[in-house]
Order: sequence, then structure tokens, then C-alpha cells
Amino acid sequence: MIRYALTRLALLIVGLVVASVLIFLTLRVLPGDLAQLIAGTNATPEQIQSIRDELGLETPLWTQYIEWIGGILRGDLGTSLLTGSSVAAEIAQKASVTVPLGILSLLIALAFSIPLGVVSAMRRGRAAGTVLSVGAQTLAAVPVVWAGMLLVIVFAVWLGWLPAQGFPRAGWREPGLALRSLLLPAITIGIVEGAVLLRFVRSATLQAVGQDYVRTAAAKGLTRNQALVRHGLPNVGISIVTVLGLQVAGIIVGAVVIEQLFGLPGIGRMLVQDVGNRDLPKVQSELLVLTGFVLIVGFAVDLVHRIIDPRLRQAESE
Amino acid sequence: MFRRTALAASALLASAALLLAGCTGGGSGTPTATGEPDPNASVAIRLALEPGNLDIRQTAGAALDQILIDNIYQGLVRRLPDESIEPSLASDFEVSDDGLTYTFTLREGVTFHDGSPLTPEDVVWSLQTRKATPAWSDSARLARVASIAANGQTITLTLSEPDSQLLWNLTGRAGLIFKKDDTVDYKTAENGTGPFTLESWKQGDSITFARDEDYWGDKAKVKEVVFDYVSDNQAALNGALAGEFDVVTGFDATLKDQIESNGDFALVLGSATDKWVLAMNSTKGPLADQKVRQAIRQAINHDALIEAAGSGVPLYGPIPEPDPGYKDLSEVAPYDPEAAKKLLADAGVSNLTLTLTVPSFYGTTIPQLLVSDLDAVGITLKVDSVEFSAWLNDVYTNKDYDLSLVDHAEPRDFENWANPDYYFTYDNPEVQRLYAEALSALTDEDAADLLAQAARIVSEDAAADWLYNWQSVVAVGSNISGFPADNVNARINLADLTKSKG
Repeated sequence: MIRYALTRLALLIVGLVVASVLIFLTLRVLPGDLAQLIAGTNATPEQIQSIRDELGLETPLWTQYIEWIGGILRGDLGTSLLTGSSVAAEIAQKASVTVPLGILSLLIALAFSIPLGVVSAMRRGRAAGTVLSVGAQTLAAVPVVWAGMLLVIVFAVWLGWLPAQGFPRAGWREPGLALRSLLLPAITIGIVEGAVLLRFVRSATLQAVGQDYVRTAAAKGLTRNQALVRHGLPNVGISIVTVLGLQVAGIIVGAVVIEQLFGLPGIGRMLVQDVGNRDLPKVQSELLVLTGFVLIVGFAVDLVHRIIDPRLRQAESE
Repeated sequence: MFRRTALAASALLASAALLLAGCTGGGSGTPTATGEPDPNASVAIRLALEPGNLDIRQTAGAALDQILIDNIYQGLVRRLPDESIEPSLASDFEVSDDGLTYTFTLREGVTFHDGSPLTPEDVVWSLQTRKATPAWSDSARLARVASIAANGQTITLTLSEPDSQLLWNLTGRAGLIFKKDDTVDYKTAENGTGPFTLESWKQGDSITFARDEDYWGDKAKVKEVVFDYVSDNQAALNGALAGEFDVVTGFDATLKDQIESNGDFALVLGSATDKWVLAMNSTKGPLADQKVRQAIRQAINHDALIEAAGSGVPLYGPIPEPDPGYKDLSEVAPYDPEAAKKLLADAGVSNLTLTLTVPSFYGTTIPQLLVSDLDAVGITLKVDSVEFSAWLNDVYTNKDYDLSLVDHAEPRDFENWANPDYYFTYDNPEVQRLYAEALSALTDEDAADLLAQAARIVSEDAAADWLYNWQSVVAVGSNISGFPADNVNARINLADLTKSKG
């Protein structure tokens, strides 16, 4: 187990280093730079050049990379070229919107996908099962934007129950308002991601139904449903944990889109703006943090998977 | 500079009232609210494009001019909605007959937001530093100012040659007055002299202004103004209908019925100086031929474009109606696909394929109409929708394009047609000469007359096509009055804004 964990940790570190190089180089390929943007459409070439010098855009690439990584190793994510503010502080501030949004989305996705997925598997071939299965297929195919618009029109514009966009200026000092403004976006991400999850739960459950141990349990006198709940679902749980690792990335992507639509001042919206502004020192640290987060979640899922699945542990010791 | 957003979506809106100036002519079209104005009101205004930082000394973009000039920062003079000029930090001013000496009397009792008094040294320092710092916006607009001196409250600008645009330029960035050697972080904070102070900037979300209770002039009539940055027009509409905004700018006039449906908003149209310029790279290929460029102009159905955009008036030359030098040039390039085909045949061009490079925030409606208009005369148009940063790099800096579409919102920007290095690639010595003469003209009438002559030549050369002159569109809440109606992409002067109770 420890050896396994160390191997995975080494892979994680290699992954982060490769990611940092890719992020750094990809951003440098983007056409245009911050100096042009600051100078605008009445700028002279001299004006652009003097801003470029002032911002340090003419420093050699490898120096820029070393400085960036050196800062990261010291725990310094750098500062924005455009506003001079600390990237870490900005990420922390925007995370106060995006992290609750992500957790809420995940909870909503889990809350409806697990029970419905199991029900849909157990009712396979009957009307309820078919409706759930087709419904999930359809929802999973719905673009997040479209789902969001629809929810806004119904719940914000027609019914007026929830805000259509924005986040309270007071933030979490007004927890009720803050939560209300996250509800529609979270439901939007939650149902689309949850629909994907529902199909996983359904197929994992169906698989469990066909397993020998479920049949054995049924032979001992349990009903099929009892056997499934008692012996099948723990195995379903293991597959869900694995899929959740992937879902986290899906939720981050969903947040980028949904924060635009709902005007939420979160990490996704900040990232899109910073790329547009070519504030590269800021963008690269933001992307590294997000990539690191997804990689670490993957790492954690691998470990958890090992711990909760006795078969994998056994396979290792043999 | 033009305003990115402005275009956006086509339809953006902005509108405001004749505001180009700052003042607002409260009557110019915004509905007049009944009811008692609330001095403690907070007004929420939706804008589309958030500035990258707040450093108006250097960072380009109408997103800064729009909210900061006249509200936070001020100059010696300011613009009125009808483009006339009146004193601001100066109590009055005088121009000598030879146009070489400008004398301003600086007001007494003006203070910066940090409490320190405005001194003549601050004025001299601001203008001198602007002139000497090429990295600051509009530095070159003070090129003809030879010296700036103060004697008591009298500020004297001495010119090396007359400059008919100087006063106008002093109403913009070139004339803004800062505190000498200030240490404020201009990127995220301010220290101006205007009727509002910056209360907070929540990046990615909103900018909040608070009334300056110690303002030297008439104090603002609302306590707080919040600019909410919402880039998506549909989200803005939803927010408005849900009662989250008092004013919506950057709006799409085609959504008029929807925004007015619940009776809380009225749509206000105003004039603007936004020119949707279809630039043509005349340095290479078939576009070097005036006949080909003229054919493109005559192939475009401008009225259909305006209908699709929701608001606008036709424009057939480089100068829009609110600016000096405007003349109706519609006879230069009337819509006539048959004539366009004939011009192309005369030029010996067939099977022409061109690429249109357009910043992505302008949407696809207008580019698609251009594709079908040009297709009808045998020109294949490919649309390359790019990020604004990429446009700046490829089109603006490197001039690597065939056709480009951008909204040039700034008033009085004819200078770009007299600058062969500008991305328009237009190089005509006669136009350059006329523009230089207009700059040196001693009266506004002479300057306007020379500009009109130059504009006609630019249009006859088919240096570009001007798709239309976009009109400001603002949705104003029924309890709001005094919101500018004209040119809100350039200035939103909040001095007369009120919100009534209930």
C-alpha cells in the first residue's frame, strides 16, 4: 500500500511538472500581449514598446519560467500584471464563490443520481425505469448553457423566486442571499453532471445484479432487492468514487461556463477574463492551481479506491 | 480607442444622452420619473465590458473613460452632450486670436478625494507629465503645446502652432488632472476631484461609486452608484426583468418589446459616434484597386444591417453626424449589387475570396449578412472570429488582414485616416494635408469645412466601408431620471442622476 502510494505520488509530481511546462508554453503561443491591450487602438508602436518594457514582457522565456516555478516552490503564485494584486489572494477570494458552487453542484448531482440510478436499474424494463433511463440520456446531452437559461426563465423571470444573475455584494456576510444566488447555477451544473452520474450508477447497479454473490444471497432467501441493497450497493459505491474523480473536472468546466451565464464572480469567470486580457503570469498560476487540484483529486481517488476495495488490496499482496 | 464592447452583441447599447459631455442634459430623452427623488438612493447600472484595471493614465478602453471621466477625474474643461465645451476645474478660459495662447483660471477651493487642495502645480505637473510620458494615453495630443506655466491661479498653455483640437483633447484623457507625485495605486484606487469617489471594485463583478460629501461643486443626487458588469445580453435582460438593475446599457434594441413588457423600463435611443468600420487592407491584392473596394461598398445593404442591429443610422463616410465635418455622403456608395458586379468585371476580378477578421464579442449577425451580401456579387467571404487580443496583434499591430470589422466609438477620431501607419492602411497625401490644415485652423467653422472635404475624399477612395453609425440604446427604469441618453459608450455623467422613492 505504501509503495503504491509513493508510486502514485511520484506520478503526481511528474504530472504537475509536465503540466506547468505545457501551461507556460501554450499561453506563450497565444497571439497578442498585454501591452497591446493596455495601449489600445490609438496606440503608436513606441507607446506599445515602452509599456512592454515597463511590464517586463521582453524578459527571456526561460527566465520567466524559472522565476514563476521558483515562486511556486516558495508558495508564491505571483502577481497580476494588470492590477498588481496577489494571484493567491484573488484565487482565494474567487474560490469563496466557486468552491461552494462546486460542492453544492456535486451534492445535488449525488442526491438525485444515486437513488434514481438504483431505482432505474431495479425497475429495468418497466415504465418507470425506461422513463428514468431515457430522461437521463436526454439530460446528459443537454448543454449546460441551455439548461441554465431555461431554469432562469422559469425560476427567476416567471416565478421570481431566485436571482437571475450576480452574487450579493456583501458575499457570505449575507449567507442567505449568497446561497440563493448559487442555487440556480448549482442546480444547472448538478442536473447535467448528475444525469451523467445516473447512467454510471444504473449500469454499475445492473452489473451488480448479475453478480454471483447477489444470486447467492438471493438463494439464501433474501429478495432480489434486499440482496442488491445489502451486497450489491457497496460495490456500486466503489465505482461511484472512481467516477467522482472524473466528475470533479466536469464540474470545474461547468463552473467556467455557468459563471459567465449567471455573472458569478468566481474562478471560471476570472480565468476567462484573464486569458482575454493576456495577463499571463496570473493565468498560468490559476491554471496550475486548477490542474493541480484535479490531479490531487485523482491521486486521492486512487488511494481511497484501494482502501475501500478489498479485492485490489488482496491482488497487491498476492 | 474604440470600445470593444460596444459592439458587442450588436446592439449594444449604450446610449445615453447627449452626454458626450458630461453633463447630462437631463431632458434629452430619458423619461422623467415622477415622485420624490431619494437622496440616499443606490442605483444599479448594467454595463457590458469591465475594464482590466482602473489606471486611466495608461490603460486604453472606453470602459474607463465612460465611468471615470467627469465622475471621478476631471479636467480644466469638459464636454457637453452637444459636443460643446464648458469650464470644469477652470472657472473660465480664453483663447488668443492667433490660437497660440490658452489661458485658464483655476477654481479655488477644489480638493482631491484624499483631502488635499488642488493647486496650480498639480495642473502644470499633470499636463507636462502627460506630454512627456509616451506610455500614457493621448500623450501625442499635447504635441503642439510648447509650454505650460502657472502664475497664481492662472494657467497658461503656449502653443508652437495653432491646434483646433486642443480644447477638445483637454476634455478627454489628455487633460485629466492628477495630484502631483501621487502615490495612490491607480490600478485599483483613485484620487480625483470629481463628485464621486471609488468605494470598491470587486473584480469580475462590479464597481461601486459613492457620493463625495465634500465635493467642491453641486453634490451628486444619489448616494451610491453600482456598475454591474454582465457581458451576456440575455443575462442582462433577465436581471433587468427580475428587478436587479435600474439602468441597462449595452442593450440590444431588438429586445425592446421584452424589456418594456413589464412596464418598469423604457427604451431610450440617443445619438452616438460609434462607427462600425469595415476596414480594407489596400496594401496588397485586389483590394489595392479602388474599384474592388467600391464594389464591396455597393454590394452591402446597409439598411438591412441596421435593421438587424436594432438601432443605427446609415453612415457613408468617416465622420458621424454628431462630429464636426459631417456631410451626408450617401450618394458616394449607394446599395447597387449590379453596379458592384460591373465594377468587379471592370477591375478584371473574378472568383475573389476574402477573409473578414472580427473580434468575437461582436457576434455573428452582422458578419453573416456581409457574407450573403458579398456572395450575391460573386465574392466569397470567410469570417475569422478572433479574440480581441488576437485582433490587436494580427490586424492592429501587424496589419495582416483583408477585411476587418470593429466599432470605433471615439468621437472626433478622423486623425486615423490621415495616418498612413494606422491599421486602415490608407495613405492619401491630399487627405493628410487637409487634416493638417484643419488642425491649424483658427475657427471651428474652417476646421469643420476642411474635415468635410477630407472625409469626402476618404469616402470616394473607398478607403473602407462604414456599415452604420450605431445609436445609443439604454433601458431606463421608470423611477430613474437624469441618465444620459447620448453616447453612453463614451461618457456616463452621473451628476444629474436621481432615483425616486417607491
